[in-house]
Amino acid sequence: MPGVITNFASLHDVELCAHAAAGERRAFGELARRHGSAVRYLLRRMGAQPAEADDVAQDAFMAAFERITEFRGEGTFVGWVKKIAARLYLRRLQKARRLAALAEAEAGGFEAGPAADADKRIDLDEALKGLAAAERMCVSLCFGAGLSHQEAAEALNLPLGTVKSHVKRGLDKLRARLAPPASAVSAGSRGNV
Amino acid sequence: MSEIDFDRRLERLFAETPELPDGAQFAAGIERALSRGWTARRWLIGAAGVVGGVIGAGQLFASGLFARVESAGQSARVLSEGLAQVTSGADMVSALSGGLGPWIAGGLAILTLAFALSRVIEEI
Repeated sequence: MPGVITNFASLHDVELCAHAAAGERRAFGELARRHGSAVRYLLRRMGAQPAEADDVAQDAFMAAFERITEFRGEGTFVGWVKKIAARLYLRRLQKARRLAALAEAEAGGFEAGPAADADKRIDLDEALKGLAAAERMCVSLCFGAGLSHQEAAEALNLPLGTVKSHVKRGLDKLRARLAPPASAVSAGSRGNV
Repeated sequence: MSEIDFDRRLERLFAETPELPDGAQFAAGIERALSRGWTARRWLIGAAGVVGGVIGAGQLFASGLFARVESAGQSARVLSEGLAQVTSGADMVSALSGGLGPWIAGGLAILTLAFALSRVIEEI
């Protein structure tokens, strides 16, 4: 069991997890301080409203504390909590019968295509708003929460093929939206000559 | 940009999240919630321990153990009368061997069982 420590800020996540597993709640508080925003952002990107995202993120951290001994340090701590949070959010949607509505939701404001606003650099959050809810959810689960297509399909209770096509369509739209400005591309290629 | 490059870029973008302005507040809320949960758990464990202790002591009473202690107390009283001439400490032995003895033993049994049960539940 780790010794008594008063300053947790200098410790690595895995060490903090060991302290948390020994019942040290301040160590877990430090983990929440470090990674709380990342988990909350992921939930917002999945489509949760900020208040709901915060609720689910808090539940996810509480669940992570309860199950901290299951974390073996094989992946990152934040990745582990993100998966817990994503699944909790999906369960909440399912309970409120909002999950089925996801698949029927319409796409957002822009179409995929090479000419779609490529010169205007926008951030990921803005780009995600242009995806249909199901595409946004699938892309966020696979690229934000680190779930495989199979895991996402199971979590969403959707056929694997459906998840794959949501991801594909979502990526096509994001690629068009997040493409580097044409001027940057040409400058880059000039630099390589 | 190749598909793999774009996938990696997207993963990076998802991983790069700015700190939310109320990040410290959020973490403090989690620490508070954990402390609340811990306090509630300690009370529950303590209550479960006391209930278990009372039940255990009740079983001891029902099994007639204290009647046997009482009869042993009679023997102790005879012994203490002999010892009374040697030391005044024998008064205590005499008091314990009287009517108070079983109650003190019962109380101690409740405390011991409550403590033991609390420890066991906490370990579980």
